[in-house]
Amino acid sequence: MSERLLEFQAVTKRFGGVTALDSFSMHLDKGEILGLIGPNGSGKTTSFNLLTGIYPKTGGSIHFDDRDISSMSAREVYETGIVRTFQRSRLCLPLSIYDNIMVGDTSRLPKGLWSNLVRRRAFRRQYEETFKVARDLVATFSGNLADRMLDPVGALPMIERRRIEICRALISGPRLLLLDEPSAGMTHDETNQLMSDILDVRARGEGLSIIIVEHEMGVIERITDRCVVLSYGKKIAEGTYAEIACDKEVQNAYLGVD
Amino acid sequence: MDLGLIAQYLANGIMLGTMYALVAVGFTLFFGVLDVIKFSHGDVLMLGTFAGFTVWLGLQAAGIVNPWLQLVIILIASMAFTAAIGAMIAKWLVLPLKKAPPLNTLLLTLMLGTAIREAVRLFYPNGSNPKAFPALLPSASIDLGGFLLRADSVILVAAGLSLIAGLNLVLNRTRLGLAIRAVAQDEETARTMGINYMLVVLATFAIGSGVAAFAGIMNGLYYSEINFGMGLLLGLIGFSAAIVGGLGNLYGAILGGFIFAGLQVVGAALLPFASAYKDVFAFAVVIAIMAWKPTGLIPERTSDRV
Amino acid sequence: MSDIAIDAPARPKGLLPGAATILAVSVYGWALLTAEEDWQVIGLLVLAAAVGLVGKLAGLGPKVLASWSSNEATMNGGAVLGLLAVIFALSTQHFPLLMLTTTLLYFIASLGLNIQFGYTGMVNFAGAAFFGAGAYTAAVLGGYAWIPPLLTILAGGVVAMVLSLLLVYPIVRTTGHYAAVVTIAFGVLFKTFLEVNEILGGPQGLMVESMKLPGWDFNNGPVLFGVEMSFYLNYALFATALVALIFCLVRRLERSWLGLHMDAVRLDETAAACFGISVHRTKILAFLSGNFILGIAGALYGMMISFIAPASFTFSDSLLMVSIVLLGGMGSPWGGALAAAIVVLLPEKLQVLQEYRFLLFSVLVMLVLLFRPDGLLPRQIRNYFPGREGGK
Repeated sequence: MSERLLEFQAVTKRFGGVTALDSFSMHLDKGEILGLIGPNGSGKTTSFNLLTGIYPKTGGSIHFDDRDISSMSAREVYETGIVRTFQRSRLCLPLSIYDNIMVGDTSRLPKGLWSNLVRRRAFRRQYEETFKVARDLVATFSGNLADRMLDPVGALPMIERRRIEICRALISGPRLLLLDEPSAGMTHDETNQLMSDILDVRARGEGLSIIIVEHEMGVIERITDRCVVLSYGKKIAEGTYAEIACDKEVQNAYLGVD
Repeated sequence: MDLGLIAQYLANGIMLGTMYALVAVGFTLFFGVLDVIKFSHGDVLMLGTFAGFTVWLGLQAAGIVNPWLQLVIILIASMAFTAAIGAMIAKWLVLPLKKAPPLNTLLLTLMLGTAIREAVRLFYPNGSNPKAFPALLPSASIDLGGFLLRADSVILVAAGLSLIAGLNLVLNRTRLGLAIRAVAQDEETARTMGINYMLVVLATFAIGSGVAAFAGIMNGLYYSEINFGMGLLLGLIGFSAAIVGGLGNLYGAILGGFIFAGLQVVGAALLPFASAYKDVFAFAVVIAIMAWKPTGLIPERTSDRV
Repeated sequence: MSDIAIDAPARPKGLLPGAATILAVSVYGWALLTAEEDWQVIGLLVLAAAVGLVGKLAGLGPKVLASWSSNEATMNGGAVLGLLAVIFALSTQHFPLLMLTTTLLYFIASLGLNIQFGYTGMVNFAGAAFFGAGAYTAAVLGGYAWIPPLLTILAGGVVAMVLSLLLVYPIVRTTGHYAAVVTIAFGVLFKTFLEVNEILGGPQGLMVESMKLPGWDFNNGPVLFGVEMSFYLNYALFATALVALIFCLVRRLERSWLGLHMDAVRLDETAAACFGISVHRTKILAFLSGNFILGIAGALYGMMISFIAPASFTFSDSLLMVSIVLLGGMGSPWGGALAAAIVVLLPEKLQVLQEYRFLLFSVLVMLVLLFRPDGLLPRQIRNYFPGREGGK
């Protein structure tokens, strides 16, 4: 009944002499929420960077929806419907909330000089439509933010920036969302609120799959269907949160026992 | 082509290569500790050379005419002066912009270079005209089968190479060198290990600038002429050399310096019909190298953490 | 619901603050352009500084901004009218008109550089070379009488763009410092090439034919109401039209998805690429369109001064153009207008400064970078359709 959405096959990444990811295989089903966990430096963010085409792979292959996306550029990966957030928030701080969200919606926007510079009436229509869509999306996360769509992001606190980053990722209606430590820099309550909002958005649409990298185990326990545990670039365990939580090897990896 | 001519080109290339390496080393050092490019480096070099020239005029006036003594004094004076300028630039102009976008540092040092160049042109007595630099080295030469090996060239190259070797020793064998390498590797960690960050940065800028002054004096002795615009060209070449070799790497800078000199010499040898186009050729090669290897032959470590 | 400017506490939507500014700037510009004695010029500069200071203390800036952006079309039209009024007030005087037109052309050049520096975050230290490419194109094509001069101006832009094509590959592959070297090397190469190339006149340079439209030779002073005007009046009017056109296009570019892409590429290339923005395409667009604008400005400049030489297109001149962008404020078109006026007029009006201009402006830019990195008229946050509440 469940269909494969994403498949890592023996994906390897070496930086110079350091093996950041060692023959890593995993999969994700459609509509699933997968937790990718492991100690610092175990290769979680590297997996995201390989998946989104930021780094070239050393070996292995990645399939998304039966397409080989192994050698795609970041832009092509985005066009298949994979979006992400970043561990350290990477918003355009001098730009408005609306602008930041629209950065995530380029697939729908015309890119030609003619349509951008000359056909201003059509441009205006696009602007008004997208503004409404963006504001509605932001409103699910915070009504206050939705009233300040033309304010610069740089003036906002961390929690609001996270929300905007997630809106930027969701605006294009992606099929797979990669969350890289969404709780970083936020309180426990804020994180929980954020997760509920993400789940709300997901419930409205059709089958958004999520991979989440997170250190806060409460979040992982609450929202994931399944977890994959990495340690030193290798997969050491896989299963539901309850299963991996009592796995000896996982406990050792976190406690640093060999 | 006869052997004597080839030897002549070779000697020429070694001389230029040493000079470029000395300039390139500065770029690499600055980039190592602060991740910035100080575009005013070439003009600081020019300023140091003019300082040396001024000291020479003073010495002449004071009646100290022994060329060796003069040479030692102007070298010390110009290197010390330039080192101080380099440290001041680091403290007041480069470090304050550490948090600003890198483009701002780039622009600031470019503008600083222009300001120094213009200041010398406008305020140095008769500064817009080239100055005849004194020949302080013996002009004797040995004839090696059609090729004149000049004593001054040998001395210049030997001195330049020993300076580079000395710099290498300082970086690898002294506490200061260790501190510089530590800061280059990881600023945060170096700070927590009790390294005086500010001091290391200033020392690095002082050393790099001092070495450039040496290259400037060398340039003056070699061409017997200095002018206010010499720094722009030397700085551009030095930077290209540092990049060709790969920034942040001392050996890369040396390698780059010699590669660039080699290219120029080859260009001059192959374009005898129009030596005027020599510079056009050299810069076209710079652009081509950038297109081919956008981050140098030995690429710098990537620092863009995602 | 939403503010237009970041720091606009007061929001009078009236026309008055903006209209008063246009009037004041026009009168001031006329006074500065016609001032002859050094003491008059210095007095006017002191006046400008005093008004600026008082205006800042009284919080006039946000009022003018709000008034301007609430009525942008009217205000921009008013600015053109103000400019035309100054031009006609000066219509018989050669030198002030020449300076005014030069300012306008440098303003156009700064708009081109702004696309690169301000929006896309790309460096270009060969601005004078692309400007010069336009001027030399005008000189060469002027020798063929059958080529319409209007086409020549366009050709100036096209030649600058073709030259940029040579650099596109290294430019998109490199970033930051490395890209800077490519353009610096090109700038030096270009000037050296002009100097050694005999066909293009060598160091002596070339004569440039004047601008002509059908039945209208720009080098003849037009006669209005029986008075013979300066022939520079033609160029001033033409430059005004060009400024209006290019300003409008650059504004639209900024307020379009392409402008958004440029900002995204400037602020975070990696994130931009992760959201499907083609970094290469955006950079190529910015580089080519910016240099096209520089080339057009250069072609008209060449026709106006009728004689060009390599010495006018040096690396220092490129830096002077960059100074305009930085002084005005990165990405701020109006800032470019103000800064172009300062950079062009100040050394011309105070002849003592002429020799020192490169020094003066390089130091000025260093101060701006250290103490006011957003420039004299900082860029405002993007508002695609100012004067309207967002999305309504």
